[in-house]
Amino acid sequence: MSKEVSEEGKTHHGKDYVDPPPAPLLDMGELKSWSFYRALIAEFIATLLFLYVTVATVIGHKKQTGPCDGVGLLGIAWAFGGMIFVLVYCTAGISGGHINPAVTFGLFLARKVSLVRALGYMIAQCLGAICGVGFVKAFMKTPYNTLGGGANTVADGYSKGTALGAEIIGTFVLVYTVFSATDPKRSARDSHIPVLAPLPIGFAVFMVHLATIPITGTGINPARSFGAAVIYNNEKAWDDQWIFWVGPFLGALAAAAYHQYILRASAIKALGSFRSNATN
Amino acid sequence: MEGKEEDVNVGANKFPERQPIGTAAQTESKDYKEPPPAPFFEPGELKSWSFYRAGIAEFIATFLFLYVTVLTVMGVKRAPNMCASVGIQGIAWAFGGMIFALVYCTAGISGGHINPAVTFGLFLARKLSLTRALFYIVMQCLGAICGAGVVKGFQPGLYQTNGGGANVVAHGYTKGSGLGAEIVGTFVLVYTVFSATDAKRSARDSHVPILAPLPIGFAVFLVHLATIPITGTGINPARSLGAAIIYNKDHAWDDHWIFWVGPFIGAALAALYHQIVIRAIPFKSKT
Repeated sequence: MSKEVSEEGKTHHGKDYVDPPPAPLLDMGELKSWSFYRALIAEFIATLLFLYVTVATVIGHKKQTGPCDGVGLLGIAWAFGGMIFVLVYCTAGISGGHINPAVTFGLFLARKVSLVRALGYMIAQCLGAICGVGFVKAFMKTPYNTLGGGANTVADGYSKGTALGAEIIGTFVLVYTVFSATDPKRSARDSHIPVLAPLPIGFAVFMVHLATIPITGTGINPARSFGAAVIYNNEKAWDDQWIFWVGPFLGALAAAAYHQYILRASAIKALGSFRSNATN
Repeated sequence: MEGKEEDVNVGANKFPERQPIGTAAQTESKDYKEPPPAPFFEPGELKSWSFYRAGIAEFIATFLFLYVTVLTVMGVKRAPNMCASVGIQGIAWAFGGMIFALVYCTAGISGGHINPAVTFGLFLARKLSLTRALFYIVMQCLGAICGAGVVKGFQPGLYQTNGGGANVVAHGYTKGSGLGAEIVGTFVLVYTVFSATDAKRSARDSHVPILAPLPIGFAVFLVHLATIPITGTGINPARSLGAAIIYNKDHAWDDHWIFWVGPFIGAALAALYHQIVIRAIPFKSKT
């Protein structure tokens, strides 16, 4: 690899980044590596903490007895966005800091993670989400049950189609930001200092929550919606649950396609249509 | 990837480790060095000015922290209604923002702990000696008492009638819930501190430490958003002690044990998780 890098540097003066090779679809060797299980544990713990802090904030806000007594919807949006920032920062080097099955799905489509790893991450994220909301229920049992359990549902006055659209576009914003923040070309432009990768991702989550909390309570994270639905176990939460899987996955798909095929033009590069040098 | 040095040399790791792609940087080789564990007892520290300077820095930082945060709490409590004040979110910002600013200022002097639970967690991870850990904790508690004392000095009557900013378990919650919230909240904070100060992390950030305080401040802010309704959010034994001493009412002292036991358990769990699971330090070969 080091030889390849230096060779690349010689032949392509001015380009100081290398696109990583696509991850193999099936890589059973990963199953025997401790770092794989460490990554799963990290995703589990991160999603657990994410759900605990965010759902506790939601319940705490809903418990308010007078106007302005809670942290406000702005505070809830900060809880989601800020927590993603902190947790992506903490787990970036361990597991890549996905904390969201939609992000994992998008990165899988872009061949950044193998199928085995993608499935493992999603399962760990869903389990972590269930445990995180379980903590909230354990600590604030009565208000949890009476105040909606932090579950995502379509609000009155909005149709399921509107909610689906909101989830698709919201997740597109998030996953597109993830792709931009993790792009090797971006790293080169930032002089390879990835100090700020988690910050725009956290802000993307924050801003999408500002926009769509009134519509669906904002899912854009199937594990988050799933964890709350499992612990709250209310019929309406389950009726709408499909929106919080189909929407985010479609949004991630659109973001992956946009970034890979339009911005990075990987398909065109593969054809070598615009350059005589096939190695570009 | 070829040539990449493995973190853990154990039999199960027979396959080359693939760099997890996501937000991870693509480092080719290890350009960091794990600092050696701090000696348990280091009497030589006691003769060094930097030791006392660090203690003074912790005192001043905790003093300013309590002054700004408790004064913010008092402002919210005395307002005619919540809408006329900065509100609960403003209180959370006061705590988180102040930690960000103070950690930034004192990181190079004392490590910017400002919290006995953080000091305890780092001590368990052998980042500092017992002597230094105890000194920091004492200075943090003294700073907290002085900070809350100044707030009381500004408005003694209002301070006593509005709860003194002390941490107590709110109505409707059990002491067990309060303890659990403190444990998980402190875990979030100390785990973030470990991640932000990790040697490997510094290498990944190309040794540019400009943003380590930001996630720590955010972690404090976020935990306050989540647990202010439950306990007023301690996650900092010095903060709880300072307010309890200056307020000095029975119900504040009744619940006070929660704000030492909870944070210390949370810090221990975070230290265990980071050192054993994430960094696998006990399993590394001694090269």
